[in-house]
Amino acid sequence: MKKKAYIGIDIGSISTKGVVIDENHTFLAESYLWTEGNPTQATKNVLHELESQMDMDQYTIVAAGTTGSARKLVGTMIGAQVVKNEITAHAVGTTTLHPDVRTILEIGGQDSKIICVENGVAVDYAMNTLCAAGTGAFLSSQAHRLGVAVEDFGEIALKAKRAAPVAARCTVFAESDLVHKLQVGYPKDEIIAGLCKAVAGNYLNNVAKGKKIIAPVVFQGGVSKNAGVVKMFEQELNMPVIVDEKGHLMGAFGIAVLAKESGLSREFSFDVADMEFSTREVTCGKCANHCEIICVYRENALIDSWGNRCERGTIAR
Amino acid sequence: MNESQIKTIGIPRGLMFYRNGRLWKKFFEALGFDCVISEKSNREILNEGMEWAIDETCLPFKMYLGHVLSLIGKCDAIFVPRMGGYTKQEKMCTRYEALPDLVENVFREKHVHILSVSYDWYDKTTEEQVYIELGQKLGKTKKAAKKAYHEARKYQAKIFKERERRMEGLLEQKGTKILLAGHPYVLHDAFMGQELARILRGMGAEVVFTDDMDRDTALKRSYHFSKVMPWLINREITGALMLLRQKVDGIVMISAYPCGPDALVNDMLVRKIKDVPVLQLTLDAQNGTAGVETRLESFMDIIQYQKAGGYGNKH
Repeated sequence: MKKKAYIGIDIGSISTKGVVIDENHTFLAESYLWTEGNPTQATKNVLHELESQMDMDQYTIVAAGTTGSARKLVGTMIGAQVVKNEITAHAVGTTTLHPDVRTILEIGGQDSKIICVENGVAVDYAMNTLCAAGTGAFLSSQAHRLGVAVEDFGEIALKAKRAAPVAARCTVFAESDLVHKLQVGYPKDEIIAGLCKAVAGNYLNNVAKGKKIIAPVVFQGGVSKNAGVVKMFEQELNMPVIVDEKGHLMGAFGIAVLAKESGLSREFSFDVADMEFSTREVTCGKCANHCEIICVYRENALIDSWGNRCERGTIAR
Repeated sequence: MNESQIKTIGIPRGLMFYRNGRLWKKFFEALGFDCVISEKSNREILNEGMEWAIDETCLPFKMYLGHVLSLIGKCDAIFVPRMGGYTKQEKMCTRYEALPDLVENVFREKHVHILSVSYDWYDKTTEEQVYIELGQKLGKTKKAAKKAYHEARKYQAKIFKERERRMEGLLEQKGTKILLAGHPYVLHDAFMGQELARILRGMGAEVVFTDDMDRDTALKRSYHFSKVMPWLINREITGALMLLRQKVDGIVMISAYPCGPDALVNDMLVRKIKDVPVLQLTLDAQNGTAGVETRLESFMDIIQYQKAGGYGNKH
């Protein structure tokens, strides 16, 4: 008999992540790709990568879960049993791998969050407000300005003798400050170190404001791959900061674990990756709210719709 | 048009309408006027209001202007009360202190006929007194105006009592109980708080509001929290939070950007309330509720998995 496996997809603003795990939470396949503004296509690409790593003669995928900002759309697309927000997915994923964790720091492409954990369950969280200051998108744009690959930021920052002071409160101010520092002759590596420090400082002063940060601390999200930011967090917090090797996949992993724990099961087939999906936005004209209703089609047949505030906007399948 | 020719009075469904709207309507009707209340808030009303408001003002005020605008041409006069507050520690925000003037100036080309009442903490007047004066201004006798005010007051009290009873019923329920805390005009606006309440109910929560609580009781309780806080409504919110927090599973504080009093008071409250999960949300004129939905869903998860004792991922 084939062994059971579970799939989790985390579709973020910048990257799309996918994992397949077995019953013991062992990773069987993993994928990390850019979303590039097209969650449907990114999911298909991730599914193709996962499929190529899987031995489907040995395993049957019995449940699927989606999380991240496009969780609903992709959940409909792949017929997921569990569709959950990224806070819960990250908390589940992290507490599964690090049962004693007390604080989870997360900085992604556009979001940053802090999750406080007690006895293996989230008790409090905070997310950045509408402002994306100090997230991955900020670092990417500054890297572009400096002509350095953002992947190299960490290494360069670690080699810098000191960190140039960069105003951290607001991306716009940070950017003009950065230009100024360059023009008065600060070396690039010190500015990069300064940016990493600004990201950590900005996070602690804004997102984590008023929250008690208790060890063990796990740091994840794309920015956790930046060793410079990790070092700045350790300095600021004066405690070790754990970066899991799978940290960038924690949301996908967490939602796969939730799919498994849901007890729901329906065989999942990678065939969905080759189906045609399209979405259409309809503006409901039945009242002055003008709700934007999203319709999802599989092979030109409507499979789901949402976005209406009341039943008048329901679009029948 | 002079006051004696007024037949129909328009009432904008915004700001203090959510606190005293029933009293106003009943008062005018008891004096023999017809009342037109603007529609429930929607995107179009907000868009219209935003076109007339300055950028820096708050979302509920922009919405209010939209409501006023929607009443122009549908009535003989629009009722825009002015409230400075009741005592030095029970004042209203400057929007209320200036409301009739703001409305008149914003729509000066439209020549809106504004009816108003006005009370202030430094004037020796009472709510009863200002409504009697309004009635007389509208050509009614002092006796009739007084009678109408008391009738309206009684009616409002009855509604408040019913709401309090309904809340008490909900607090007895088994499910997850969420207390929405905020200014009444944010909590009960169809485009703001009611949208959040709808999302929460869709997730299976029982929703109660800080202004379901008896005002005087809440106000009194707020003095245990702060002796110097100068805003009446924030006092009522604070008092209700203190009285209800042990009876709910979570608190969602809603503020409309950029409310000054909320910015100060809510921050203080979050630091003091450590025994119940609290979520702070700030609403602005942004499209869509996706960001808010994620935050509410995460918050509900925290409460529900806590109750369940974990995620089931420990073996």
